[in-house]
Amino acid sequence: MMMKKVYFLYIPLILIICIAGSNLLPKGLTKKFDADKGNFSKENQNNNLTHVESDFTNQTLTCKSCHETEYPTKNDPGLRKCPRFDMISKFPTFNKGPEVVDIKEMSDKYTDVVFSHKIHSQMSEMSIGCTDCHHYNTTGPVLNCRECHEQNRSREDVSVPDLKAAFHRQCMGCHKQWSHDNGCSTQCHSNKGTDVKNRDRQEMLDKKHPKVTEPTKMIWETNSAAGKIVTFFHNEHNQLFKINCNTCHKQENCTKCHDVNNPKDDKNPIGIKKSFEDHHKPCMNCHNENACEKCHKEKEMTPFNHSSSAGWTLKNYHSRLACEKCHGNSMPFKKLDNNCTSCHKNFAPGKFDHKLAGLTLSENHKEMECENCHLKNDFSKPPDCKTCHDDKSFPAQSPGKR
Amino acid sequence: MKNLNRRDFLKSTALGVSAVALGATSVKGADKTLSEDRIGILVDTAVCIGCRNCEWACRVAHDMPTKELESYSDNSVFKEYRRPDKTALTVVNQFENEKNPLLPVYVKNQCMHCERPACVSACIVGALTKQADGSVIWDDDKCIGCRYCMVACQFQIPSYDYDKSIDPHIRKCDLCFERRKKEKLPACVNICPNEALLFGKRSEIIQIAKNRIKRKPDEYIDHIYGEFEIGGTSWMYIAGKNFEKLKMPPLGNNPAPGISESIQHGIFAYFVPPVALYALLGTVMWITRRRNGENDEENILKPHDEKGENK
Ligand code: SF4
Ligand code: SF4
Ligand code: SF4
Repeated sequence: MMMKKVYFLYIPLILIICIAGSNLLPKGLTKKFDADKGNFSKENQNNNLTHVESDFTNQTLTCKSCHETEYPTKNDPGLRKCPRFDMISKFPTFNKGPEVVDIKEMSDKYTDVVFSHKIHSQMSEMSIGCTDCHHYNTTGPVLNCRECHEQNRSREDVSVPDLKAAFHRQCMGCHKQWSHDNGCSTQCHSNKGTDVKNRDRQEMLDKKHPKVTEPTKMIWETNSAAGKIVTFFHNEHNQLFKINCNTCHKQENCTKCHDVNNPKDDKNPIGIKKSFEDHHKPCMNCHNENACEKCHKEKEMTPFNHSSSAGWTLKNYHSRLACEKCHGNSMPFKKLDNNCTSCHKNFAPGKFDHKLAGLTLSENHKEMECENCHLKNDFSKPPDCKTCHDDKSFPAQSPGKR
Repeated sequence: MKNLNRRDFLKSTALGVSAVALGATSVKGADKTLSEDRIGILVDTAVCIGCRNCEWACRVAHDMPTKELESYSDNSVFKEYRRPDKTALTVVNQFENEKNPLLPVYVKNQCMHCERPACVSACIVGALTKQADGSVIWDDDKCIGCRYCMVACQFQIPSYDYDKSIDPHIRKCDLCFERRKKEKLPACVNICPNEALLFGKRSEIIQIAKNRIKRKPDEYIDHIYGEFEIGGTSWMYIAGKNFEKLKMPPLGNNPAPGISESIQHGIFAYFVPPVALYALLGTVMWITRRRNGENDEENILKPHDEKGENK
């Protein structure tokens, strides 16, 4: 200790000399400090990661998005690593998947992890579906996690979690509510050689979630100035507009509804506080134009009606079509005008078979230009007979047979 | 093109470590000698499950007393907010998740290994040093226990083990100096079941963090804590809510005060007659200014000289 104190009396002096010294050094010499730089060549520093790390939100697919090799074949497709959901094209339905999966990754130390695949996949329908776990798959068989997730934590590409993390994240993302009694060794990993009871397979197989009944109409009373009453037709969005559950129910899991740590209350949905933004987001994703007034009304809304909403009654063929056939696949739906030719680009003189409009033209009318009757080619209005026939009008008289 | 090899990376940081042991690469305060390949560690709070395995592994790696790993799953410790101290170089705290009370947020804290460490600047005897690999480590033999680093650190990290009152020891995360010497990952990174801690090259880690935020804009706020805070830190964080709510201090992007102060501290700390030293200082300043003058001339002649030098 004594030595230490004496030594430190010299410290200020040494410090000052060092500082002066470092300033006096020829410039080049200071570079010495960079000694342990440059273990990697420039090339290595700037290289791209092997998997597709590009813009996930806006991905356009080419062959190269999936295949690394120049000439992919069936036996050697040369697939890239993990381009994720955007490209998943096909999945077996959940009831075709295995009922229970045994994960034997650590079989030297622990008993197998028994995963109840069936109930998890069933309930995943409430969330984003199979893709939640199988977030990358081609049209082929379901890929093994090991295909992308390396066994080694100390590895080249750390942007993709290692296998241990990949497994744990799948489980722990939802089962975050572990505790001492509900921890790793009781839920999943039992130490080999101990008499901890393995999870009961049969119990697992028998487990079923009661059928979730879909709500039809939901009404909220808000304190919004724009209108107190909000009506939401759940059934219309799902059945009529064919919007997938997971468009709104994103990233949901059991704990959104059930407090597993509170057995008394595990049947009752828990109250989740949502921020203003979170509340409005599912609606605003599509209804982003006439924002507040679209939902906030003074009184309860009536169900959707194409005639009153769009000012155009769906008749004949149109009433049988799915919305997206005309209004496009992407949300919000594309607005259309009432002109037939806006959609039916092939409705041109000589090409159009008038029978399709529900009226076979008589011989006299067949050869005429469209705009002789449909003034200015505006098909949204009834045809005008007056230009030729003073005494006739549509629909009392008709230029053909219905 | 081949990806950079992780073993090589660990090896290089390990090399850095051994070089440090020989005293070759230590720098004081300044960032000009930081390696481009320096270490970064990302704490992804959206992935951390609060298992506290990292706390256990850290203690074991540093020969600190600890209970068995199983006891760490007792989450009653989360009732109180904890800070790293002499018994724990890293601690995990729990925070409320407004969106879903059943899925709390966990945040691991430890020394941030600042890019411009205030503790290093404040250390009057040069015991604490910033390494080219990014880590901030210290020399126990030099430390005199003045506690300036504790005061200077904006994250209140360094703590002291006073058990032997005349021979105090700094206690803080050393980025697992000893393990990295053996080309091993830091203990906490190695054990984390969810890989919530991502160890790599700082530049690469930032890119991965950005990608995660971009891919899940609903899950993360658009902010990497530590990318720029007080000049940047080696440990960085991404989270779903404001960092202030996770008790990460809202610091600006300017580094803490510089190196000049420590000379002043040095003078008074040792009760050396100031007059004598001022005379010496005067000489130093005179030499320094002359030297700087030359530098300026050189800079005018060669404006594109060595980028790092003019920072
Ligand atoms: S967090 Fe504190 S102790 Fe760690 S490097 Fe920064 S200033 Fe120093
Ligand atoms: S890097 Fe090492 S010293 Fe730092 S917190 Fe992790 S285990 Fe502890
Ligand atoms: S080991 Fe990983 S998941 Fe567990 S508390 Fe530490 S950082 Fe979080």
